[in-house]
Amino acid sequence: MAKFVKVAHVDEIPLRRMKSFEIDLVNVVVCHTEEGFFALEDKCSHDFAPISTGRIDRKGQIVCPRHGARFECKTGNVTHPPAIVGIDTYAIKIENDEIYISID
Amino acid sequence: MSDSIKKQNEKLSALNEDYATKYGFRDPVDYFHKGAKGINHEVVEMISKMKNEPQWMNDLRHESLDMFLSKPTPKWGNTKLLNEIDFDNVYYFMKPIKDQQTSWDDVPEYIKNTFDKLGIPEAERTFLGGVSAQYESEVVYHSMKEELKEQGIIFLDMDSGLREYEDIVKKYFGRVIPPTDNKFAALNTSVWSGGSFIYVPPGVDVKIPLQAYFRINAENMGQFERTLIIADKGSRVHYIEGCTAPVYSTNSLHSAVVELIALDDSYIRYTTIQNWARNIYNLVTKRASAYKNATVEWVDGNLGSRLTMKYPCIQLLGEGAKGEILSVAFAGIDQHQDAGAKVIHAAPNTSSRITSKSISKENGRASYRGLVKVHKNAKNSKVSVECDALLIGEDARSDTYPTMQIDNEQVKIEHEARVSKVAEEQLFYLTSRGLTEDEARLLIVNGFMEPFTKELPLEYAVELNRLIELEMEGSIG
Amino acid sequence: MNDIIQDILIPELAPELQRGPDWLRKKRKDAKDVYNNHPLPPRGLHYWRYTDPMKFVIDKSETNDTAFGDNYDIVESIEKKNLKEGHLSALITDKGGREIVIFGSDELKNKGVIASTLSDACENHSELVDKYLYQIVNSEMGKFEAMNGALWNDGIFVYIPDNVIIENPIHLLRESGLEKSAQFPRALIIVGKNSELTIIDEYGGGSQDRNSGTSYTNSAVEIIGLEDSRTRYVMLQRQTSGAINYLTHRAMLRQNATMLTIPMAFGGIITKQSFGVILNGKGANSKMYGMLFGIDKQHFDNYTLHHHAIGQTTSDIDFKVVLKDKSNSAYTGLIKIDHNAKTCEAYQENRNLLLTEGCKAETIPELEILNEDVMCSHGATIGPIDSEMIFYLTCRGIRYDDAVRMVVSGFFEGTLQLVPEDLRERITNFVAQRLEHL
Repeated sequence: MAKFVKVAHVDEIPLRRMKSFEIDLVNVVVCHTEEGFFALEDKCSHDFAPISTGRIDRKGQIVCPRHGARFECKTGNVTHPPAIVGIDTYAIKIENDEIYISID
Repeated sequence: MSDSIKKQNEKLSALNEDYATKYGFRDPVDYFHKGAKGINHEVVEMISKMKNEPQWMNDLRHESLDMFLSKPTPKWGNTKLLNEIDFDNVYYFMKPIKDQQTSWDDVPEYIKNTFDKLGIPEAERTFLGGVSAQYESEVVYHSMKEELKEQGIIFLDMDSGLREYEDIVKKYFGRVIPPTDNKFAALNTSVWSGGSFIYVPPGVDVKIPLQAYFRINAENMGQFERTLIIADKGSRVHYIEGCTAPVYSTNSLHSAVVELIALDDSYIRYTTIQNWARNIYNLVTKRASAYKNATVEWVDGNLGSRLTMKYPCIQLLGEGAKGEILSVAFAGIDQHQDAGAKVIHAAPNTSSRITSKSISKENGRASYRGLVKVHKNAKNSKVSVECDALLIGEDARSDTYPTMQIDNEQVKIEHEARVSKVAEEQLFYLTSRGLTEDEARLLIVNGFMEPFTKELPLEYAVELNRLIELEMEGSIG
Repeated sequence: MNDIIQDILIPELAPELQRGPDWLRKKRKDAKDVYNNHPLPPRGLHYWRYTDPMKFVIDKSETNDTAFGDNYDIVESIEKKNLKEGHLSALITDKGGREIVIFGSDELKNKGVIASTLSDACENHSELVDKYLYQIVNSEMGKFEAMNGALWNDGIFVYIPDNVIIENPIHLLRESGLEKSAQFPRALIIVGKNSELTIIDEYGGGSQDRNSGTSYTNSAVEIIGLEDSRTRYVMLQRQTSGAINYLTHRAMLRQNATMLTIPMAFGGIITKQSFGVILNGKGANSKMYGMLFGIDKQHFDNYTLHHHAIGQTTSDIDFKVVLKDKSNSAYTGLIKIDHNAKTCEAYQENRNLLLTEGCKAETIPELEILNEDVMCSHGATIGPIDSEMIFYLTCRGIRYDDAVRMVVSGFFEGTLQLVPEDLRERITNFVAQRLEHL
């Protein structure tokens, strides 16, 4: 059974913003794009920078501030070098306007 | 200056008028007559307009300039030398030679001495010394061009490549090294000029090495070369750039970008010998993407410059891809060769090998900086790294900073490094057989470099050996 | 761009700052100022690349002196028995970095050995302590060394006079408190000319488990090996899965002194350790044999340094890592040879065995060589157990699990041989425990 942990209220993360949380030693970033809320590992696959310190572009991609790598918020797939591998995504659910994440 | 060189220069200046119109320089040339140093959006606009570029390249140049200005100078490496670079005091676009008014007298003595000792022909000397703009190999170049054309191989300078094959360039330019990658990639993307554009069609085997030497003009020895090589599926190509003879330039900041794309089953070997004059900062970003079952080899020789920072990189993106990096650095008086290699395994069953050899002499400093990164999905990867450093002299310095980041347990990673001076026993053995100490030391150094020199085309290897001999004798610099 | 902005200051009126004679209080205050004025180290700095420095920032107002785990008493009584049976020269227990008791010092006193709390030593042997304390682990090294420098409550002081051989080890048993405890153990060990000493430095305790909370330990160890001395320093870290620990160790060797350092780590959830030996006299020799076994989600960040400041010195490092589950290890080893240090020999090897999918290892062996008259090499390997070896064993009727156990034991065997006998069995048990469910 996947264990879901409550991390925030939806109002805490406005559109095109994101917030980072530590769940059981894993750093997770929750992104809010036009397509909804998504949870990804807060670590760029290129040089391990915390991507939560970057920004979300108009295409719903998260941009890493260190060297400009980009990942699709929805899938974690890499869309722009110098990263060449995607990042992990985590299960996320919204219940009564509260955001829950599972890293299992 | 000798009469023959004077005559040569006159002939070449005449060629220069042609040069200006042939390559599309127009009024903006006046702008540069006024000696515009420093970089800003105006300069970038001028460069792009002068080359008559499509809008997307113009936009990319401007965006990259913003990135360059916003990124700080790296806080690692030889920060002392890096912080000496005065970005506002550099010419970002090479003025046509006749306007530079470099005369033979301006060329440093040690360069002239090396030309003598290496027996460089007169015509080459004026070119290498930055005194003349063109090399008299037009004839040879033309016939070669015809042969390549028949096979469908495209081999042009980058400016022409963009003009004539815009679609291909647009597809690949900046996809291996985006301008956001680092400060100097951003700089190059905004002011790049010259460099090579090569496309090899599927299945074609380019039998002879393509040499930048043949297309020699001032743009080749440019500061901000941009090279893009695409080997389509199943093709093979070997590209050589640089030369062992020293190259002098009044522009002291050189920052090139080289991107290689090896599609499925292809092979690319890229050989460089760099021997920039001792006033030059040589900061290069070189990276290759190797797809399924493709092979990329970097053969990289660093002899000159005041500071070189260069870490050829191979990204193994497709299953079965292979990479090999063979790097040699010779750091003589006051030089810092900060070289290395990077391999990134992002697919299963990939393998790579890094061999780095460095020699530090007098107060030279050779550093090896490397990265071996294996992603989670790169099962069954094999990597082996070998770094050897030879120190000659009390003040020589060697550093090794290799990093291994391994994210998959089904891999085999090995790394080994050794640092030593020329062994007493070896010297003793050779001198007891009649060699002088200098001859013995030279033999040992040549033996040390052998894995590298044997990979070079013959004329390079011969010249390299002669150059090492001169460096060891201490008769240069 | 800074990744982290906040950190928490050491209050002016922290009681630890008032402990000790004037000269010590001044040094504590200076350290406190460095800590408070130093920004958090940037993640871009290599030393902090693998571990978030925020993990070691402790809000003193949120920690307190806690009780200790149930196991502690059992461990203490076992060691007391060892002392009684003559396997140890002395046992020094250190609970929470503040309650320190010395057992078995009487016999040592006859030899002129001083084994006391650091605060006693500051009062009764202030000249000796002032000469060496903070000399090699101090605020210049960084924010967290400054933190220990200001906040160590009480520490351990061991002094072996010249020409004294202490045959059996002196065992330091350091126990950290339960959740929300913060301790700053400190040790200063001086081994006199031509003397011999083995120190076992054991770190146990900590918060029961991650869910109850975290305990913090920030320890500093300084060891001085005077001319011709022979020292063995064995460090065993076996804290709980709720413990975060930070350790800075430095030793300085004078002419012809030798040192054997054996760091072993099995516990904690986040462990960041730095071991360094400065070879500061002709003929000095240092050997370091490290080992760690990671399981679950443990994170190990190790740094070793062999600094050859004087010529004709030799060193050797062999650091072995075994990882399982989703644990990870980052190891940086630097060999530094100064410009005037001629004719040195330095070797280093780091081998990493990854037993399952999901664990991660990084290794960065570094060399900074400024003198040509050197023989220096390093090697590193990362990979799974050699499948051929397993095949060979299973062919001989050995079950797969047992085969893996044999290979891992063999892997650590060389290092274990160098550890004092009594400890060896316990370590073998730690390893066996971790190999139980493969």
